[in-house]
Amino acid sequence: MSILKDLFHYNGNGWWRIPKTSESKTNPQYEHPFGKFAGMSKDFWTFITSGKGHASPAYYWAIAIILGLITMIEVWWFDVDELRYLLVPAMLFFSLVKFILVVAFFMHLKFDNKLYSTIFVTCMVIGVFIFSLFLVLSAFHGLGN
Amino acid sequence: MSNQDVTIQHGEEIKNSTGVSNKKLLMWAFLGSDVMFFGTFIGTFMAYRNKSLNGPYPSDTLDIPITSISTFVLLMSSLGVVLALHYLKESKMVLAKLWLILVIIMGMIFMGFQVYEFSHFAHIGMTPQANLFGSTFFTLTSLHGAHVSLGIIWLIFLLYNEYKGNLTSENAIDLELAGLYWHFVDIVWIIIFALLYLITAGDGVPPGGLPWIAGQ
Amino acid sequence: MSSIIGPKQFQIPRIFPRPMSHSGIWWWLGTVDHKKIGTMYGIVSFFWFIMGGIEALLIRVQLSQAENDIISPELYNQLFTMHGTTMVFLVVMPLSAAFFNWLIPLQIGARDVAFPRLNALSLWVFIFGSILMNISWLTGEAPNGGWFGYPPNSTIQFNPGNGMTFWVLGLNVLGVASIAAGLNFIVTIINMRAPGMTLMRMPVFTWMTFITSILIVLALPILGVAGIQMTGDRVYGTNFFNSEAGGDPIFWQHIFWLFGHPEVYILILPAMGIVSEILPTFARKPLFGYTFIVFSGIIIGFMGWFVWSHHMFTVGLGPAANTAFTLSTMLIAIPTGVKIFNWLATLWGGSIKFTTAMLFSIGFIAMFTIGGLSGVTHAVSPSDAQQQDTYYVVAHFHYVLFGGSIFAIFGGLYFWWPKFTGYMLNERLGILNFIIMLIGFNLQFAPMHWLGLDGMPRRIYTYAENMGWELSNLAATIGGFLIAFSVLIFMVNVFISRINKKLASGDPWDARTLEWSISSPPPHYNFVEIPKVEHIDDWWYKKYPELLEGSPKQTKSPKVTVEDTSNVDESKIHLPDLSYYPLFVGVGLSIAALGVIYSYALVTIGLILVFWGCIGWSTEPVNEPHEKHH
Repeated sequence: MSILKDLFHYNGNGWWRIPKTSESKTNPQYEHPFGKFAGMSKDFWTFITSGKGHASPAYYWAIAIILGLITMIEVWWFDVDELRYLLVPAMLFFSLVKFILVVAFFMHLKFDNKLYSTIFVTCMVIGVFIFSLFLVLSAFHGLGN
Repeated sequence: MSNQDVTIQHGEEIKNSTGVSNKKLLMWAFLGSDVMFFGTFIGTFMAYRNKSLNGPYPSDTLDIPITSISTFVLLMSSLGVVLALHYLKESKMVLAKLWLILVIIMGMIFMGFQVYEFSHFAHIGMTPQANLFGSTFFTLTSLHGAHVSLGIIWLIFLLYNEYKGNLTSENAIDLELAGLYWHFVDIVWIIIFALLYLITAGDGVPPGGLPWIAGQ
Repeated sequence: MSSIIGPKQFQIPRIFPRPMSHSGIWWWLGTVDHKKIGTMYGIVSFFWFIMGGIEALLIRVQLSQAENDIISPELYNQLFTMHGTTMVFLVVMPLSAAFFNWLIPLQIGARDVAFPRLNALSLWVFIFGSILMNISWLTGEAPNGGWFGYPPNSTIQFNPGNGMTFWVLGLNVLGVASIAAGLNFIVTIINMRAPGMTLMRMPVFTWMTFITSILIVLALPILGVAGIQMTGDRVYGTNFFNSEAGGDPIFWQHIFWLFGHPEVYILILPAMGIVSEILPTFARKPLFGYTFIVFSGIIIGFMGWFVWSHHMFTVGLGPAANTAFTLSTMLIAIPTGVKIFNWLATLWGGSIKFTTAMLFSIGFIAMFTIGGLSGVTHAVSPSDAQQQDTYYVVAHFHYVLFGGSIFAIFGGLYFWWPKFTGYMLNERLGILNFIIMLIGFNLQFAPMHWLGLDGMPRRIYTYAENMGWELSNLAATIGGFLIAFSVLIFMVNVFISRINKKLASGDPWDARTLEWSISSPPPHYNFVEIPKVEHIDDWWYKKYPELLEGSPKQTKSPKVTVEDTSNVDESKIHLPDLSYYPLFVGVGLSIAALGVIYSYALVTIGLILVFWGCIGWSTEPVNEPHEKHH
């Protein structure tokens, strides 16, 4: 709330001024505007992982339940006719979320050496980019003729 | 800080340049190449969507409820394999074996659903030779099924070794590698389910009539 | 497959005992040593080079005169298809693999690659896959659809028979070999470097191998998919490229060239790496712009993915797509040009020694530049519309592949021959080899530039008398025979040098990288002690540390000499034992592929061999527990 007050406060030095957030103090506790949320999620993270920094079975069950829920939402969405016009983006979004959850947590990429992530992400980027390019080319076959 | 990479096998005391396990690096690189493999098939499927000149069309054949169940089973098998790995690393062998057996059973259930689906499709006249949808659908799902089957064989082999006492928390990396492969197969299915089933299930006769017919 | 080593040493029961001896045929069939595997790659691919060359000579004989009828049109189609496929997949790729196998562990200071049995698997799958593809000659139906196999010409409807099926299955099997090798080298280069060898201290050849391996691992699966789709169409009646069912033949072109363009970078990057090693050695100067050369290689590898449709400019993609690919293709000439300038700068001011290897490398620069220039003219889609499917394209890719890759490979052979075998190749014969090859090559392929612009199409088995093409074609044929003669000189050189056996020291060229710090040929364990690396070209600066302290020129006598292997306690050095399982899997895979054409019984036998091999491999420990190590 104080941020909002700062945003609209006009103290005569100019009609706008950059709100003072925690990072403008010396030795800020969080490093960037969303730092507070990052900090909070870090605490949640430690809580979930029972302080050990790596997962316990309960944690894996939680991810699995989330995956199951998302699958159920996907199937429900498919059945609802009113939302059919949003089907493609929704499916892409949900499958992306599931993909990231499985890769990051079940495949442990988040906690492993960054080298594995680099390899896999690079391959995914190249693959997805090329095939999107391929689909675009197919869709616009003959454009400009 | 991963403790996954600490697993060093007896007799292998190579300290390498990055500290990551050779085998795990190999598996991740292999999965990267498999991404290109499945990506090409998925790309072909999406490019050929709505271009079949004759039926049966996706709306006549795809059965979303059944496939949702098999998707769910495969997702839970992913959970199973990660739990099996966890218990193996903590040397809780009974639980580890139990979960590995469950994964294998769930994998077989998934394959059972696939076989049922394929035979059902053959009955209603959808075959790989019937039209474009048949060709692309069957090759993609068959190759995925082949990957799943190889994974099941691998897991059975690991289970056998667990019973023999050869797979312990010290060489748990071997189960981890199989787990990575299994999760990858699961991810591919997640994408196939979304793209091949959910998005395509409404496709009937292509909009605007059949393509490549004179005048259209 | 993982190697399960448990408290009890569990192996599946063996029918044949594990080979242990260090002599005889099983020493070669069961080898997991990267040096032997490299030698076998080299010998087999050189054999296919001769075969592919004979196919080329037959083509040239047929084309030397107008309206010739020495070779029928059907045989002609088979000849140019197999010539292209052989040269790309059975010669340049495995010869590059031979160099990777020999040199990468030596250049990074390792004892072997990360997965020696996987390395052996690549070799055996390659050998049996190449045999599989060439069995088709014996059935009288070799593949005849071009090395790129475009449908509808290659569909079962217009191309009945087994020829093209052999082709796709052979390519899929060879793809497995390449992918396995690529994965192996990625892990080896990332994980097995000597202490102190950071990525930016690696030799350029190692860097190029690394980039090539990444390209292989990403591009070959795409070819595999295309192959599976075409096999489905030909054998099982699927509709991927069947226009009657709505399939689009253009998709084959897209998928093939998505593989095919990174493939040509796979073919050329190792050659660029070889040249980057030879030039500094014989110019007695460090490689100019190491960082630029490495980063150009990375950029070429990356941008190579975005240019594939320049092979499809005349297919009707539309001006928008054509423009986009023109731009991307012209952009990729930039990093290549950067490399050329850096090589020239390496030569400038150097104290150049014109050994055969150096001549081939300089020849590479010149020929590759010419090929690159004609390539840039192809990049522009309007001009490509005239050049597509003419001999101008044939001239372009032969300049870059023969004048590029093959010249560099020959240079590499002359350069590293002492290291591989322990004796020197005769320099005079080598220079003769180079001169005749250069003359023959240019005589053969330069006329193709104007033949193409004059309108001579590709893949025609003859041409009319009044086209005015006869003289150039005759010149090209003579050039072809000169090339054959020069290859003969090379083989004579090998033979004579083997007889004369002028022994080579570990470092006959006073070279720069780690492989020259060990004896020639290297001991089976490579290094007595794994070196500690402090610079790029570490061996050079260990020999001449005064260069680091500001001296402008090295002294006459190096400070250190090649490793002394006389007092080595070999029991401390653990190398993997031999294994025949990779051979089984290799044979099984090719038998299974053959079975797709002929009979499911063969598929079953093949797959049984593959499974048995894989399970045996997983349960076999890297080293048998026994008292004496070799």
